[in-house]
Amino acid sequence: MDFATIWTLSTTTWLIPAALIGLVWGILGGALPGISASITMALLLPFTYTMEPVVAIVMLASVYIGAEYGGSIPAILIRTPGTNSAAATVIDGYEMRRQGKAGEALGISLWSGFLGSLFGLLMLVTMTEPLSWLALSFRPTSYFGLGILGLSVIASMSSGSLVKGLAAAIVGMMIATVGADPIAGINRFTFGVPELLGGIEPVLVMIGVFALSELMIQSGAPELNGLKEKIRIRLPSFDMMKRLKRSQAIGGIMGLFEGLTPGGGGSIAAFLSYNEARRWSKTPEKFGKGSPEGVAAPETANNTVASTTLIPLLSFGIPSSNSTAVLLGGFLIHGLLPGPRLFEQNAEVVTGLYFGSFIAIVGQLLFGIILLPACVWLVNRPRPYLAAYILALIMSGIYTLDHSLFHIGFVLGMGLLGYLMRRAGYPFLPLILGVVLGHMVESSYRRSLVLSAGDHRIFLQDPIAVGLLLASLAFILYSLWSEFADSAKSKRKAAPKETSI
Amino acid sequence: MNKDTISGIVLLVFDAAYFWSAQQIPHSVLDDAFGARGLPNILSVILGFLALVIIARGLMAARIQRADAAVDDDEPVDHESTLPRAIGFVLIGVGYIVLLPILGYPVAITLMIATIALYEGAARDWRIPVAAVFGGVLFWLIFDVLLGVGQPSGMIF
Repeated sequence: MDFATIWTLSTTTWLIPAALIGLVWGILGGALPGISASITMALLLPFTYTMEPVVAIVMLASVYIGAEYGGSIPAILIRTPGTNSAAATVIDGYEMRRQGKAGEALGISLWSGFLGSLFGLLMLVTMTEPLSWLALSFRPTSYFGLGILGLSVIASMSSGSLVKGLAAAIVGMMIATVGADPIAGINRFTFGVPELLGGIEPVLVMIGVFALSELMIQSGAPELNGLKEKIRIRLPSFDMMKRLKRSQAIGGIMGLFEGLTPGGGGSIAAFLSYNEARRWSKTPEKFGKGSPEGVAAPETANNTVASTTLIPLLSFGIPSSNSTAVLLGGFLIHGLLPGPRLFEQNAEVVTGLYFGSFIAIVGQLLFGIILLPACVWLVNRPRPYLAAYILALIMSGIYTLDHSLFHIGFVLGMGLLGYLMRRAGYPFLPLILGVVLGHMVESSYRRSLVLSAGDHRIFLQDPIAVGLLLASLAFILYSLWSEFADSAKSKRKAAPKETSI
Repeated sequence: MNKDTISGIVLLVFDAAYFWSAQQIPHSVLDDAFGARGLPNILSVILGFLALVIIARGLMAARIQRADAAVDDDEPVDHESTLPRAIGFVLIGVGYIVLLPILGYPVAITLMIATIALYEGAARDWRIPVAAVFGGVLFWLIFDVLLGVGQPSGMIF
């Protein structure tokens, strides 16, 4: 860790205010039911366009940290998770509220989230730093291997439908082929539209499929039950902290593994840790009836994931969740490509990200308490006005990117695409991966062939490329095996039912 | 037809259009062996194959469902009914794009907020114009004044 860089960044940039503003935005956005962490981040993306790269990345990462805590507020208070990963918190959090312990449940959520985030950040720093030495060895062939590795994780992100996941990824790669081709500069699929000559910014696809499609999905949905009483957060006592240690440790470990797993994410980590915390608890019978451990475990897990999911992103440029895909969009807006070379060429961004995340995590304890009344006020706002303001924010924000009305129309189209994909059961993340990695895969493949005069053996002469391609192959085979195994298991489960009928 | 069959057909039609457009990409003397058409052609072939698999799976699933009438359709039936609402959302957005260069940003965004609030079922009372004007002023202050983005000024305002 370079403390001189931290000092310089803190004193010469808006890094610390950006971390705190991002955190506040994340807590408020996460507290709105239906507005996930990725949507909260996507709404902020256009605002980061004119910022310094390090400030923009820190702000987006801080939004993610804040949203993971914010999501637990409506989960505990109105039994509606603000984010997907807060769904497990509903079980015991809402029970505690019914027993008149809402303040205590929110305090446990805040404290557990703080510990989980700190642990996640520690893991992020220790696991990504050693990668910087790899940077100097990367060649075009290595980048091709990296792109293929990124695409290979699609299999695990397709949640039960590999074919649909692959189709979404191919459509994403097709979107990436729009614009000048990377070697000869020939225009492809531009149809005489000047705005398409430079290609399609992944951020436009992200805002459309994440944020706008959510508004369309929620259109016409009934109002949630409001919350009238006043609530104050109560941080856990020393005795309670000791009691929560075991479930928080379980949450941290689950968060670490799920953050590293492509397609894992905070929701799975939260539910897994809840189950494990119950299994290892001295009082498992209290789970589901307002157990503090039942709040601590999932909240530690999903906050840990907010940091550990950055490990595959920073190391290999692979977004393993929707939120990291949006963060990747933030990197791309500023011409930064996560991966080993980031540590060499933009080390200050990585250092700033570590430090900014630390500021946001510490600030979470304070702002988590201060912002509770604002979150409750927001949750109580009528849905039609929220939808109107969010759409106005999206429309105005997109215009800041390139002062283009065409881009607003394009995002509307992407919103409709996202809506249709959801309805037909196609996952988003492969589409985003295709858009982001398509250009890298094509350009590195073709550059490698130009260097070798068309000889494909060049890929076998680069040990990093060979390693990455073998890892991709192993990943694909494992994912296929898992899919077949899951399918066989569900068929076996279905069989006895039929005979019993 | 179920969702898989319909989405597979849509993908196939899109793929055919993409493949046809890929054949219009001109050759260049600067081209490498792979060429500017190389990746689009490969993607097109793969998507065509995947679309056929999705259609086949959809048809097989439909046949199984027909054969086993006792099995309930587990897909919520209200999904399709929300499509017109989603399209309405897009049309309001398109209306905003059309009106923006005519009315200017503050007026266009105010109108859009009011329209969406009405469309989403807000009670038709004084709160709609108040919220719309407040939002219009707020967004104009944030984007035009504070951030200096320079949102479009129209022919009228």
